[in-house]
Amino acid sequence: MVETIERKTFDTDSLRKSSLRHNWMHMRNWNEMAEEGEPLILADGKGLNVYDTDGNEWLDVNGGYLCVNVGYGRTEIADAVRAQMKALSFTPRGTTTEPVVRLSQKLAEITPGDLERSWQSTGGSEANETAIKIAKAYHKRNGEKSRYKVISRMGSYHGATGLTSWLGGRGSRSDFEPAFPGMLYAAQPNPYRPDAGGETPSEIAVRAAKSVEDLILYHGADTVAAFIGEAFCADTPYDACSVPGPEYWPMVREICDRYGVVMIVDEVITGFGRTGKMFGIEHWGVTPDIMTMAKGLVSAYVPMAATIATPKIADAFAGPDNVFAQTLTFGGHPVIAAAALANIDIIEKDKLVQNAADVGEYLMDQMRSVGEKHPMVGNVRGLGLMTAMDLVSDPVTKVRFPAELGVENRMAEKFAERRLIIRPRGLLVFSPPLCITRDEVDRIMQGVDEVLGEVEAEIGMS
Amino acid sequence: MVATHDTEAIRQASLKYQWMHNADWTEMAETGEPIVMVAGKGVRVTDSTGKTWLDAHGGYTSVHLGYGQDEIAEAAYEQLCKITFFPSGTTTVPVVELAEKLAGMTPGNLNRVFPGAGGSEANETAIKITRAYHKRRGEAGRYKIISRKFSYHGTTAGVLGLGNNATDFSLSDFEPMAPGMIHVPHPNHYRDELGGASPSETAIKCAQAVEDAILMHGADTVAAFIGEPIAQPPGAPVPAPEYWPMIREICDRYGVVLICDEIITGFGRTGKMFGIEHFGIEPDMMTMGKGLISSYLPLAATVVSDDIADYFGSDNIAHAITASGHPVTAAAALKNLEILERDGYVENSRVQGEYLKAGLTELMDRHTIVGDVRGLGLLIGVEIVADRDTKERFPKSAGLAARLNAAFRKQGLILQSDGNIITVGPPICITRDECDEIIAGVDASLTEVEAGLASD
Repeated sequence: MVETIERKTFDTDSLRKSSLRHNWMHMRNWNEMAEEGEPLILADGKGLNVYDTDGNEWLDVNGGYLCVNVGYGRTEIADAVRAQMKALSFTPRGTTTEPVVRLSQKLAEITPGDLERSWQSTGGSEANETAIKIAKAYHKRNGEKSRYKVISRMGSYHGATGLTSWLGGRGSRSDFEPAFPGMLYAAQPNPYRPDAGGETPSEIAVRAAKSVEDLILYHGADTVAAFIGEAFCADTPYDACSVPGPEYWPMVREICDRYGVVMIVDEVITGFGRTGKMFGIEHWGVTPDIMTMAKGLVSAYVPMAATIATPKIADAFAGPDNVFAQTLTFGGHPVIAAAALANIDIIEKDKLVQNAADVGEYLMDQMRSVGEKHPMVGNVRGLGLMTAMDLVSDPVTKVRFPAELGVENRMAEKFAERRLIIRPRGLLVFSPPLCITRDEVDRIMQGVDEVLGEVEAEIGMS
Repeated sequence: MVATHDTEAIRQASLKYQWMHNADWTEMAETGEPIVMVAGKGVRVTDSTGKTWLDAHGGYTSVHLGYGQDEIAEAAYEQLCKITFFPSGTTTVPVVELAEKLAGMTPGNLNRVFPGAGGSEANETAIKITRAYHKRRGEAGRYKIISRKFSYHGTTAGVLGLGNNATDFSLSDFEPMAPGMIHVPHPNHYRDELGGASPSETAIKCAQAVEDAILMHGADTVAAFIGEPIAQPPGAPVPAPEYWPMIREICDRYGVVLICDEIITGFGRTGKMFGIEHFGIEPDMMTMGKGLISSYLPLAATVVSDDIADYFGSDNIAHAITASGHPVTAAAALKNLEILERDGYVENSRVQGEYLKAGLTELMDRHTIVGDVRGLGLLIGVEIVADRDTKERFPKSAGLAARLNAAFRKQGLILQSDGNIITVGPPICITRDECDEIIAGVDASLTEVEAGLASD
């Protein structure tokens, strides 16, 4: 059972000053935070709730970065980590450890189709880099080394490292020039804001899938190594939670097969129950050649990721001359594998995948009824507990609010007043831990309803 | 106590489901591998059959404090019982404390810490910051990165093309490489491609080669220079004292950011807290991993000088890593650093390193295939040669890697060689007796390999 941890008292002010001085937080500006009395510093967590250093309770609507799938405070994972650390904290070179092997076997069992052999690493970027490297090396093993290009979808997100930061995306990346060679961008199958046009979700899906084939034909199949996409786009400012029509993935699968392109599905966010199925791609019934996963794999209790491949891909690397030359110090780490096993055990025992489907449906119902009341909600979408409201200044043109209106800051302040942690960015993403209850959904939606109403009143939209 | 394990079932599952790094599962199936490790204490690990091994490689030179440091397990546990992650846009207590701690430990005005989960990420972050920094200074044309041949800075696409360890493996599997990679000679006096007559001359010529590269490419296109203070892949050659001060001066003169990769050399590995302290200069950025947490969990960091970080206070880069700023890894690292300082392991690394290197150097008297022994602290490289005078290497067909590795295994040593370099880098908590065991084990292994070569 849960031990009660004695709550320490903190000198919040000096912690905050230290953070502003030494801590390079991602996506925040420390000069701005200094003026606003931020950052918020957290000390405890339980379920959906987190507690700051002054003892205030907050509700983490997005479960970290859509990753704390089992919720905070599951001491089973803490127990597993402690026990494994005490037994053996690292895998010596050239050997293996039991938790790593057991996790490999478990992943083969729970992933779709014949996905079987997994390369364990520490984060989604690494998992996707590994997938792309495997795809390139696979073609070389098959005598097709001219295949090096990678097709991703505009608006998608696959990581922050050298190659993955050039996959997907919208907006400027000029901070990180030079662009990585061989990056091709297909249409995002976003039913609300389609890149390739179309009226119905099905038509949009078909057109977006065709844009993949068009790229292959234009560039020549003999230059294309892989296609990568999230089961559905998860957490980006423009396309988050847009669910493609049923035609999309079967068509993409067929196109990849026809042209010998390796199909990679990125389940870093959508995996492990997030969408109401164990993996997001199961909604479309296709099996990718390679699947990547992270976040929910271990509910981010520790850093962990994996890349799993079918025998068709992995067998190309059998034999002493075919070894895939990649070493990561923390690849195949026994402690994080033990944590992941404990995490998956909780997901299965507590039936969190089913809860995500059930409560997710309830959440979508509530989002729709709140959305209907508020003209700034242009679109409500998602699957399971991977849901979003797209915010627009005009429902017909779907144009977003001009920056000078400060809509996002107004919202952020009002959510903070209600002790809800949500960061608005063109849309509102709701992706709570999968253990969420209907009551907690009600609490979140009540807050959203109030905040939308107040902001609409302030900007004269209601 | 080691529980009983169904070794064969685990082995078979590993061969079928696990993609181990740099290993061929068909070969392992025949050799009875992989060995399944189940427990560890200090420098020793125990496999599922109850056999105990000495980890002379220290888990990729990363398990600085050795195995079985229960205090780290307790610190991780306590944090896991408090808060295990951070909601979007917030931070947590141990992350702040670790950032302050690292700012205090690192030299000069290295004061701002961007955490990550591994060395590759830390170097990717350093390079992204460098390019964005130049852009904020109005010098967007600077994007090229100078690194040294035979160095290693990671395996993700932005850092894979750094270094160029052609003797180890070809990168052609992963073409194309990221653009803008410039490679300069490595300051390895034993194999100096520039032919320096003395260690100092090698150092000066290799530093000069950096300036030549900047002049040839144009300083307005060069973003950064990156190097390990002492590089492990070429067998830990220690550059002469001239090298790093010259590099510092050249980088300053041409506005090039100097990044020190301390992923292997940091936290006492070389007998000082950071490897660059041997050379008396301060980099603009430092990357770290491994010893920062003795690999109890995945953690790395990029520490940035105020001069660079100040450009980002109101204009951050779009660079988000889920595990950046993770409270559990930070809590474990804080405990790791506390033990490192409290128990005097940096000094132990210096003392035992000297002893171990002297013992391995003595082996040259008996083993002609040892061409050179070098390094600092507990980062030691033993170079294997076919001919000590010409420094010629054994051809791949001689199978030195397999011979050495089989011999090490027979001696109960976790140690692997590519046939050219043996990297000895045990946990820095090692004792003198344990150093003797490594020396004796390497001695016996070399005897066996030489006998095998003679009988061919």
